[in-house]
Amino acid sequence: MEENSNNDIIVTENVKKVYSENGVPVHAVKGIDLTISSGEFTAIVGPSGSGKTTFLNIISGLDDVTEGKVWLNGKLISSMKSRELSDFRRDNIGFIFQAYNLIPVLTAEENIEYIMLLQGVPKEERHERVVKMLEEVGLKGMENRIPTKLSGGQQQRVAIARAMVSRPTIILADEPTANLDSKTGAELLDMMRHLNERTGMTFVFSTHDNMVMERARRLITLKDGQVESDEMRN
Amino acid sequence: MVTLKIAFRNTLRQKRRTILTALTMLVGFILASVSIGWAGGTYSHVIDMFTRNRIGHIQIHAKGYMGKPSLHKSISQDRPVFEKIKNQKGIESWTSRVYSVGLASLKEKTGGIQITGIDVDKEVKTTNFDKKITQGRNLSKDSYKEALIGKGLSKILLADVGDDVIVISQGADGSIANDIYTVVGITDSGNEEADRTGFYIDLSDAQNLLVLGKRIHEIVIVCTDLDKVKKITNTLKSELAEYDLEVSPWQETAKSFYNAMQADLQGMWLMIFVIVLIIAVQVLNSVLMSVLERTREYGVLKAVGTRPFQVFKLVIFEVSIIAVASVLIGSLLSTFINHLLSVYGINLSEPFSYGGIEFNKLSSQVSARSVYLPAIIVILSSAGISVIPAIRAARTVAAKAMRSI
Ligand SMILES: Nc1ncnc2c1ncn2[C@@H]1O[C@H](COP(=O)(O)OP(=O)(O)OP(=O)(O)O)[C@@H](O)[C@H]1O
Ligand SMILES: [Mg+2]
Repeated sequence: MEENSNNDIIVTENVKKVYSENGVPVHAVKGIDLTISSGEFTAIVGPSGSGKTTFLNIISGLDDVTEGKVWLNGKLISSMKSRELSDFRRDNIGFIFQAYNLIPVLTAEENIEYIMLLQGVPKEERHERVVKMLEEVGLKGMENRIPTKLSGGQQQRVAIARAMVSRPTIILADEPTANLDSKTGAELLDMMRHLNERTGMTFVFSTHDNMVMERARRLITLKDGQVESDEMRN
Repeated sequence: MVTLKIAFRNTLRQKRRTILTALTMLVGFILASVSIGWAGGTYSHVIDMFTRNRIGHIQIHAKGYMGKPSLHKSISQDRPVFEKIKNQKGIESWTSRVYSVGLASLKEKTGGIQITGIDVDKEVKTTNFDKKITQGRNLSKDSYKEALIGKGLSKILLADVGDDVIVISQGADGSIANDIYTVVGITDSGNEEADRTGFYIDLSDAQNLLVLGKRIHEIVIVCTDLDKVKKITNTLKSELAEYDLEVSPWQETAKSFYNAMQADLQGMWLMIFVIVLIIAVQVLNSVLMSVLERTREYGVLKAVGTRPFQVFKLVIFEVSIIAVASVLIGSLLSTFINHLLSVYGINLSEPFSYGGIEFNKLSSQVSARSVYLPAIIVILSSAGISVIPAIRAARTVAAKAMRSI
């Protein structure tokens, strides 16, 4: 993919993934070619089992491909070694999970700080960024609470802050609102879209949720491990 | 370090498991510490009893005497050797002896004897010689031709206190040595073989009989501290290097006894091996469970960019924190227990004997070894075994771990 322009954050080329379920091959992804550009706010939708999670895991380097190639930020990640990939993820991808997945023994503030610690960001700067981020996601005053002392919506806000504070190239979110009530989900989505507009950070998320689809700028629909439709909106 | 912080908080989060793991380590520590203290206490007690009975901690002979004893391989009493011993620190007491063999007869009974010339006062101080006299009395201070004989010998000769015994031996000058001695007491050293030939006379009597002039065969030294014997032996060796002497610690003069003691110590090592095994199995069990329960957490840590080695460290840290805490508490508890055991000891209902000496009380010993050795054992065995679950955690595949809710 030599025509890789600087604006393309993710490029996949004929990506396939075959799982083996008790010796029976399961074709979860059957050849996806996609390009996601900088600043997009994109939703991947499709029925359950259509391969959304699998595809997100592949473009984030959490899972390997059976066939095909994946470039992230111009780097071919589908052939990276485990530790290289680990550092690459740390510096380039922010994750938001359906189940929040904060580190249970760390406070909100420490959770947000964690990746910057791995990156070796100096203390002063870490603190500065954490304070700013807490404000941005509306969690001022809750910095010292551990996850179990926060509501689901608040935990997901911490997760968003954690994903963004390390300044990755892209934020990937697998069903970020599925565990939240629709009002809270909508609030968070609006917040993410606002952050997307303000910072230009790229967001890609999978969802079942109509409310999420409505707010997406690009809607990629998967079916049976293939792209069924890909439309830009407003 | 954030990994250490997470590790520490994780140990507090899983209180029940942490306490159970810590208890295993604590019990292991105390068992190891007490068995080391115990072995140390018993070991030095038995050695002290044994060596102080006759052979002392260190012996000095003329060169070659140990390999092949001979009347002629003797040390002159005029030599500065004795000054050096007197000035050496850490020596509790010492005494000189003269040895030879001969025949003793009373009426028509005759028996082979081992003649030992002793310096009465010093012998009493060094080997509690007076405690071995079961009948009669000790040789008097200015003893002249008095003798003590072993219990067995008195039976062979049908000799009793007050009898005059004729002794025949050979003088250092080749002459036939003979004399008459009055039996003033009978000894029972606990060593039957020695008592069958035991014949003790005053050092100067022996020197006269054997025509040795002012020469002796053996110097027996008892140190104040058993642990310093090796060091004092080496000091004496280098101080006496210019003389043709052999300085031998008890490990050399009583080789088979030493070997028996070493074999006894192996029992302690076996005990320690079992303790290591118990700790390892228990820690492995509990850490593996906790790692399996937290697969998802490790998955998240890895997803956001934590390196495998950092996840590995996290598990090792958690175990090490618990181990260090257990070691700290264990040190206090086991020192206390060892102290109690060393003060009160345990009276044996059935005494055991070795080399004719009876032991009826065993006690423990508080030493640095009874703390640092168990500490090393606990920390290494638990951190060591945790490598297995730690590798497992480090290898967590994030994508898989996070699907399995
Ligand atoms: N580890 C695995 N082993 C075997 N099959 C798998 C594995 N993971 C996913 N699959 C299968 O791959 C297909 C795609 O799964 P995937 O989770 O990507 O779908 P999804 O679109 O995210 O579904 P959902 O909306 O329910 O989250 C499914 O048929 C699923 O059963
Ligand atoms: Mg899914």
